[in-house]
Amino acid sequence: MTLAQTGGIKLFLPQTYDIIWSFIILVVIALFFYKFMLPRFQKIFDERASKIEGGISKAKVAQEEADAAKKKFEDQLKSARVDASKIRDDARAEASHIIADARSRAETEAAQITANAQRSIESQQQQALVSLKSEVGALATSLAGKILGTRLQDDSVQSSMLDSMIDELGQDKDKAA
Amino acid sequence: MAGLVSAQMVLASGPNFPTINDFLPPEILFQGTPFALNRIVLIRLIMTVVILLVLGITTMRAKLIPGRWQGAVEWMLGFVRNNIVYEVMGERRGKRYVPMITTMFMTIFLFNLCEVIPGANIAATATIAMPLVFAFWTFFQYWIAAAREQGLGKYLRHELIPKGVPLPVLIIVLPMQLLDVLVVRPVSLMVRLFANMLAGYFILELCLAAAQYFLVNVTDKLMMPLGGFMLIAALVMTLFESFVAALQAFIFATLSTVYINLSYPEEA
Repeated sequence: MTLAQTGGIKLFLPQTYDIIWSFIILVVIALFFYKFMLPRFQKIFDERASKIEGGISKAKVAQEEADAAKKKFEDQLKSARVDASKIRDDARAEASHIIADARSRAETEAAQITANAQRSIESQQQQALVSLKSEVGALATSLAGKILGTRLQDDSVQSSMLDSMIDELGQDKDKAA
Repeated sequence: MAGLVSAQMVLASGPNFPTINDFLPPEILFQGTPFALNRIVLIRLIMTVVILLVLGITTMRAKLIPGRWQGAVEWMLGFVRNNIVYEVMGERRGKRYVPMITTMFMTIFLFNLCEVIPGANIAATATIAMPLVFAFWTFFQYWIAAAREQGLGKYLRHELIPKGVPLPVLIIVLPMQLLDVLVVRPVSLMVRLFANMLAGYFILELCLAAAQYFLVNVTDKLMMPLGGFMLIAALVMTLFESFVAALQAFIFATLSTVYINLSYPEEA
């Protein structure tokens, strides 16, 4: 069959029913796309876009929070370090203070002990002086008596007398001690 | 294909080559009424139901995080929106036409694809009525856009009297331009799509009919390689026609967008 036999022009002459069906089909499909599919998908696209944007801003907030936390932590670390060195310094100062204290107390005590000793020595000396004075008085009295009792004619008598006197003195001292 | 096979039994003398009568199929239902159905219209209706079902279910199940199928559908929608409409018109003007061009592209593409779907074997766009309806849609849209955006007078003056054309030439140019905006644009859209589907059908069916004839009907072994070659040719043509199906949909959608865009006044 050739084009001429069948009338090729017929190909370009639409049948009424064909146009009607084509039109109905187009309207149905167009309605489907206009009213259902594209709005739905648009909604999903918008939602997705906002989700992604939200996610990005959320991540940004999280980043900021992390940065702030890090800064806070570093600050705390720094202040802790300062505190620690301060405590260390304080302790060192305290220690030296304690040592100085102890030393001064020891010195005071030593001085006190020394002073006490001095004082007791002085008082003993005083005592010794007092007793010596009284004994020297007595000795002098007795010596004077003896001198008056026995005549001092020669040097030998005189020296023997002095010797015996010194012996007595030593015995008295021993007694006193 | 069913028609081809039955005719084969009757003739059985030569290859059952396709004829243009395949594009003028007899009415098989509701004969004589405005709602008569023929083979191609029936294919069209079935494809419509398939489109509505598949895309409808996809839309109903559409989630925020797309699966593979949803991703593919979204890619198609994005392609039409960004690579056709926004590419030609820009986003501000184009927004209004996204649904129209999406409808056009998807429908023409899937209807064209029927050409390589076994059982259908002829594009659902392969009677003049379907391209005609699409072309008229574009036609109305660009006239409406012209009237709305700049007024018909201004639009016609701008389209019919190109700047810098001398008066004698204008005598020829003016009717040509008028013919262009009134007839050539929609008719070229319509004929381009229809003729492509027609030609694709003929080539593909020729290959298939020849392959059938030389491999099955003819017992001569010498003819077998020829039949094999025709089968391979049919395979290649099937792939090529799938590509043409998408390409023609793309061209139709893009040209429709361009024509509508021409109705807008030039960007200040």
